[in-house]
Amino acid sequence: MNSRERVLKLFKKEAIDRVPCFSGMGNITETGINKLGYRFAGIHLDAKQMAETAATTYKLFGYECGVVPVDLCVEAEAMGCVINVYPQADGILYPTIKEKLIHSEDEMNIALPPDLATRGRIPLLKEAIRLLKADIGNNVAVGSYVLGPFTLAGQIMELNDLLKLSFKKADKVAQLLDVMADALVIVAKEYEKAGVDYITVREMGATSDVLSPRVFRNLILPPLQKVIRAISGFSVLHICGKTNDIVTAMMDAGPTAISVEQKNDVAESRKKLGSDALIFGNFDPYNVLVSGSEELVRSTMRKCIDDGVSAVWPGCDIWPTVPPQNMTAMMDEVKIYGGKK
Amino acid sequence: MADEARKKEIFEKLRNGVIQYDEDACREGAQEAMAEGLDANEAIFDGLVSGMEEVGRLFEAQEYFVPEILMCADALYAGLDILKPHCKQMDLGVKGSVVIGTVEGDVHDIGKNLVKMMFDVAGFTVYDLGRDVPLDKFVDEQLKTDSELVCLSAMMTTSMVGMPKVIEKIKAKNPDCMIMIGGAPTSKELADRWGADGYAEDASNALKEAIKMVAFLKKLRDEKIQKK
Repeated sequence: MNSRERVLKLFKKEAIDRVPCFSGMGNITETGINKLGYRFAGIHLDAKQMAETAATTYKLFGYECGVVPVDLCVEAEAMGCVINVYPQADGILYPTIKEKLIHSEDEMNIALPPDLATRGRIPLLKEAIRLLKADIGNNVAVGSYVLGPFTLAGQIMELNDLLKLSFKKADKVAQLLDVMADALVIVAKEYEKAGVDYITVREMGATSDVLSPRVFRNLILPPLQKVIRAISGFSVLHICGKTNDIVTAMMDAGPTAISVEQKNDVAESRKKLGSDALIFGNFDPYNVLVSGSEELVRSTMRKCIDDGVSAVWPGCDIWPTVPPQNMTAMMDEVKIYGGKK
Repeated sequence: MADEARKKEIFEKLRNGVIQYDEDACREGAQEAMAEGLDANEAIFDGLVSGMEEVGRLFEAQEYFVPEILMCADALYAGLDILKPHCKQMDLGVKGSVVIGTVEGDVHDIGKNLVKMMFDVAGFTVYDLGRDVPLDKFVDEQLKTDSELVCLSAMMTTSMVGMPKVIEKIKAKNPDCMIMIGGAPTSKELADRWGADGYAEDASNALKEAIKMVAFLKKLRDEKIQKK
């Protein structure tokens, strides 16, 4: 059983030999970038560089997937926001939104650009997906991600205003989120056309650290359902931060699997959702994988598996400066321990 | 001068105004406090800040979430804007200035703004560099303003890693400057490893830490002066 078969069987809830170790979020490493001689700031703007870099995590460490893009600004950029890729930065700086689309409450009534599917870097992403598939698609599942409607809304307008309005004028926000969902459906469908095996929907902004479970159900869930239902392949819903009180709602959004981070008590979630549910997670990609010792990496992988994750998967993007020996320890431990369960 | 009962009533109005995110009530309460000749500092601390402390408790108890806190902060500022010009001198035993901002690569500033609010309340001079701030700008601004305190905020793991570079540069040029880091992905362990003097994952913690740090710094300086 190769990594691709293992991951796809997992999504189909068929029997597999061991817990897979993969991600639906960014997982490129500095080791990979340096090996190719690329610069971090350059790979966001070049399909070939993006795809080649994304493939290195599998090629160097046996990581069981290939994922593009690397940044979180693709959708907002296609909608018309200006992004900053920090072209002059020496180190690693992820692109951010420089210019918002909505500047006040009065501007919230927006329409989508009719040619959204061909705007910004969406064609570039499709090309990167095709290249990545051609390169390693027989060996691993190839994934991509879109933001969740609320997180995207928080990029195209002031998050401060969005949060207050979600309390004061929930109807207005719900309307905007519905438009965001339409945009994300268009983007996700383009990625599916390019051949991705699974899509992760990243609704980071709607964590229970920020919004109440009640607001999550009333306001966040309906547009999320719209996006997830439109994905015809496998889907994963990721939310970081505290999520124990919303895991049931996350499942109600209808994804194939949910993804949670280290703040989630997975044993507790497993009890709530039952043995059949696919729960991916939930190690701390920075404090364990980047700055932890090999022993901490190994013990954390064992804990994830003991707590009952369906796949060992990071709580967020893997930070590129991850030491290669920790990547190796992670893969090794999951291979040894993941088959025993 | 108002009697104790009236004073209590006004402070209660300010406090409840913050808790119930009622900007009008805070404005009214502040105006009443001034009309009655009450001490502005007292009105800020026993009214507005007392309300914010309760908001912090409600947040911890998961009764309030971030949208509510933002609305409470608006209410606090509505009162503070009226009271602040009447403050003679904040009597916290410390007086300081602070450089604050969100590090480059991060455009989230909600946490930073809440911390800034607490410094405003405490009478600090605040040099707010905003968000997505190039690392060297923190170093330059600290040197320029000779601030006792620098606060670095990051919401994303992906931007937090710029922090140790700033800490190192500032400490190299000005070892006495205290540095506080904060934001969702930071931790006490990271603060220790990177040589930061304080750590706060939320606004109310940040103010407590900041006052402690500045008081400590004053003590060090006083001791140096005494030795001379």
